[in-house]
Amino acid sequence: MLLTCGAAVPLPRAVDTIEWGVPMASYVIETDGLTKQWGDLVAVNELTIAIERGECYAFLGRNGSGKSTTARMLLDFIRPTRGSARVLGGSGADPAVRARVGYLPGDLNLARSMTGRDAIEFFGSLGPAPDRSVVDSLVERFALDPSRPVHELSTGNRRKVGLVLAFMGDPELLILDEPTSGLDPVLQEEFRDLVAERKAAGVTIWLTSHVMAEVERVADRVGLIGDGKLARELTMADLRRQSTGRIVFSFDGPRPASAFSELPGVTSAEAEGSDVAVTVDGSTAAVLRKAGEMGASAVQTERRDLDDIFLELFEHTQS
Amino acid sequence: MNAGRVAHIYRQWFRARLLSTIAWAVGLIAVVTLTAAFYPSLKDIFNNVGQGSGLESFLGLSGAIDPSSPLGFLWSNLYSNIVPWIMMALGIAIGAAAIAGDEEKGTLEYLLSRPAQRAEVVVARFAVLLTVLLLVALVVGIALAAVAPLFELTTATTTTAADGASVTNPGVSVGDIAAGTFAALAVGIGTGSIAFLLGAAIGRHGVAVGVTSGYAIAGYLLYTLSNVTGSLGFLTWISPWRWYVHDAMLITGLDWDVLLPFGLATICFAAGWFFFQRRDLRS
Repeated sequence: MLLTCGAAVPLPRAVDTIEWGVPMASYVIETDGLTKQWGDLVAVNELTIAIERGECYAFLGRNGSGKSTTARMLLDFIRPTRGSARVLGGSGADPAVRARVGYLPGDLNLARSMTGRDAIEFFGSLGPAPDRSVVDSLVERFALDPSRPVHELSTGNRRKVGLVLAFMGDPELLILDEPTSGLDPVLQEEFRDLVAERKAAGVTIWLTSHVMAEVERVADRVGLIGDGKLARELTMADLRRQSTGRIVFSFDGPRPASAFSELPGVTSAEAEGSDVAVTVDGSTAAVLRKAGEMGASAVQTERRDLDDIFLELFEHTQS
Repeated sequence: MNAGRVAHIYRQWFRARLLSTIAWAVGLIAVVTLTAAFYPSLKDIFNNVGQGSGLESFLGLSGAIDPSSPLGFLWSNLYSNIVPWIMMALGIAIGAAAIAGDEEKGTLEYLLSRPAQRAEVVVARFAVLLTVLLLVALVVGIALAAVAPLFELTTATTTTAADGASVTNPGVSVGDIAAGTFAALAVGIGTGSIAFLLGAAIGRHGVAVGVTSGYAIAGYLLYTLSNVTGSLGFLTWISPWRWYVHDAMLITGLDWDVLLPFGLATICFAAGWFFFQRRDLRS
């Protein structure tokens, strides 16, 4: 099933109070100058993001870029050196806030003696009791055998346990670190369906992933982090525009690429024979008008793979 | 703090320790039974070689101790060495595992992603430390009380010294066993609490085990060497062996020194709570 990402569901600015006594804020995750530094190493540097209710935000970056450190600060495993982070209008240190969060770590480690069922019972007992039918449904959807000790399971099966645990409490916010890592394609599809359902119900999702096809299908917005700094934020609509932003014009003879270079939104223009290839970020109106004036005889658009765009963006991030 | 959550965390961690606790208990039952079983034959050997009295112990008791007497035998073969060492080792193992062990394995982080407070984890895990030590101490005491009559340990003995004087030594009573075992439990709790504090404060399991084990061993050397040489006596108060061995509570009964490890445990618990609240979890 192709998952389409609608616009985030905006919350009214007014503050309501929910059952656990924690105010619901307009931004589900809000960081302001969030910084984590160990000695000379700045793992996260002045990170400022705001994620609305119902939004799916993909936090992308290379290994060691600060993604997991950010997640760990959101949940108060580690404390910021500077800046602040608010989750569901409160602090990740507050158990009432964490009761409303489903978390899937990059590597799920549970006690050796714990079976999947033990884990569901134990972690379910620490907060609001999960609905039994929801748990059963998740176990069935992910084809999980809950009777086996978690430490005996393969990486993919441990991931299933983690996903059941993350989703079972009907959380308002899901923090998912590489959620489909190790899952087979069928279960990846199941995961995407589940995310779509939860998003439709207004759940906010913050995830990290290296699978760009997955990001494309589930995310509304991406944040690119490099060396701890948020380099760029784009909506998926921005990314899709970039993916179709390369236009090749054919002329009856050679034309100078420089004629396009100065136009608004043009990031590159290259001439090759009687063709000129132009890459546009944003509106293509000016480029098309110019090509018409120059007598273009044919127009061809090229769809670039999202992986290529991400790689390009990461290169810009690094530089 | 939510008492229900503390109870859940306590139960889960206790269940995780149950098998190892049973293993420790079974091992100790075997040690206690085997040691007691040797008493009838060793008692005769001591009497035959004329060492019925006058064995000076540098592990407790300023006066002489008669190793052929039931209490002297149990003290010199079990309660001045094996029982406190094992209680300390168990205390160190669980104290270090309580926070730092699970933190290094990554299991603590997932627990704290749930609505569990760090303070609740500290309370529950420390309670498990106390419970396991208490259970193992109970097993030791009950096992010894059960086997003592089978191996003449509850029977009074009479020995004749070189000067011809006769000395009658009482058999071991349940009260003696309770006092000695409680003192060993106390020193296990005190030492385990140090490991707990180190684990909670710095989150490094190996450091918590290493430093606390080093402390126990150094304390043993300090105490015994100080007793032999008569120097540095004031320093022996930092040794857990001073609190435990010096008064030989199996023989002399409980005294106020038995509270020292509990005072230390209270301080370590409070400090562990304080530091664990204020630091980053290690990934």
